[in-house]
Amino acid sequence: MAAVIDEDALEPSLQTLLDQRSLRWIFVGGKGGVGKTTTSCSLAIQLAKVRRSVLLISTDPAHNLSDAFNQKFGKEARLINGFDNLSAMEIDPNGSMQDLLAGQGESAEDLNAMSGGIGGMMQDLAFAIPGIDEAMSFAEVLKQVKSLSYETIIFDTAPTGHTLRFLQFPSVLEKALAKVSQLSSQYGPLLNGFLGSNGALPNGQNLNEMMEKLESLRGTISEVNTQFKDAELTTFVCVCIAEFLSLYETERMIQELANYGIDTHSIVVNQLLFPKRENDCEQCNARRKMQLKYLDQYEELYSEDFNVVKMPLLVEEVRGKEKLEKFSEMLVKPYVPPQ
Amino acid sequence: MAHLMLIVFLVEATVSFINAVGAAKINDLLWTLINFLPVPTSKAAAEQRKVQADYLAVRREMNATSSQDEFAKWAKLRRKHDKLLEQLEASKKGLDSARSRFDSALTALRFLLTRAPQYIIPFWYATEPMFWLPHGWFPYYAEWIISFPRAPLGSVSIASWQLACAGIVTLLSDILTFIFKLVLGSKQPETPIKTPTEEKSKETSTTDEKKTS
Repeated sequence: MAAVIDEDALEPSLQTLLDQRSLRWIFVGGKGGVGKTTTSCSLAIQLAKVRRSVLLISTDPAHNLSDAFNQKFGKEARLINGFDNLSAMEIDPNGSMQDLLAGQGESAEDLNAMSGGIGGMMQDLAFAIPGIDEAMSFAEVLKQVKSLSYETIIFDTAPTGHTLRFLQFPSVLEKALAKVSQLSSQYGPLLNGFLGSNGALPNGQNLNEMMEKLESLRGTISEVNTQFKDAELTTFVCVCIAEFLSLYETERMIQELANYGIDTHSIVVNQLLFPKRENDCEQCNARRKMQLKYLDQYEELYSEDFNVVKMPLLVEEVRGKEKLEKFSEMLVKPYVPPQ
Repeated sequence: MAHLMLIVFLVEATVSFINAVGAAKINDLLWTLINFLPVPTSKAAAEQRKVQADYLAVRREMNATSSQDEFAKWAKLRRKHDKLLEQLEASKKGLDSARSRFDSALTALRFLLTRAPQYIIPFWYATEPMFWLPHGWFPYYAEWIISFPRAPLGSVSIASWQLACAGIVTLLSDILTFIFKLVLGSKQPETPIKTPTEEKSKETSTTDEKKTS
């Protein structure tokens, strides 16, 4: 039984993403273990062929970029070996908020010093807002990225729930920060009266400086927010496998993305089995049958509005530049299984 | 001054009637009656009922569809379900706000029609005698109290008249409710659910009541 292909079905490839020159942010997300990293690396490789410069950022706490390219990446963007316009970096979305609050301080003593006085209060306040620490590090990264002037930035995001929270941050944070800066403008003079004219905080920080910092952060974030909601600039690529839970999660994710106003029109169905005819592998045939069932559902549900790309499961791990390059070809030219 | 006395009596009667029935019940009744007319809220309510029916139908269908076997169908139903739910909530909010607007308008109107005359009329006509008492029937202090606060001595002031009206209305309403309960009480033995012992006791009680009445 073959998947029903509608007349008005969209192209089963990511060529549209490559052609859309206005795209600046591309998110790649899905459930854990469906091949997000492989897909994002492949997409980055394909994009690097048609763009001036591409940056691949992993926000997944379990970083796989280093594994995929057999190269160590860190907090700073670094060129990937063998490419001259494709860089990668890994950031920790759980990166500490304390870093930000304590200025650039990274020593533990600074944090201990913050446990009392206004600093402690600010810390409590900051941690009372759910997910703000992640949002902060996110905003820091975006600020950094903005200054680096890459043409396209690909985010390899953490599994579903995480991703959606991550994308919600700009709006959450903007609301919170608007409140904080309003408070500071109202009570700033009063606080300054307490703290002395230079507004020094107990932990050696400066109130005005901190407020300025928050304000500039808010500016960055609101700009990012408007960019993320612009379908011309941002898109989301859903990666999934042909299984019930993945299908369910994908539907949920697409609905939520629609709620956030984030454009999405690409689905990559990964790890499809194409066993040879007349083979004796019982498991392979059974699994193929199951995958076909869910693949049909994908086609029926999404083929009108989405580019549904089907990727095969290979017999080897997709690691290293050459294998990724080969794999990435299939994102653009649909895979034809050998009969 | 006869019409003024009548007005005061009617206001008192209305106030006591509203208190007896309950303002909320009257609001409900008026809201129901108004929604029989082709006003926007009744249209919205009809729309909401329609959406509600649709929603329930979709929900039933969704529950009857297996998400495992027919996910595409299920997901489409789910999308419809979510959309209808959203619509339903929005319309409910709209209806609720319309209802609360109606309620507050009605409360203001009620205040204007009952409480305001209840206080303003006695104040305005405080110096006017309602009618004169026959001379010499009452001692001075009784005349003084009856003409309180500012009516000429020897007359009945509007405040006294109002007080008397309120008293009579309360008395009448008490009598009416008593009679009402008596009539209802005598009808009670005809209700179908009863145990033999209860029947006996009720029969004795009704005969007692008949005797007393």
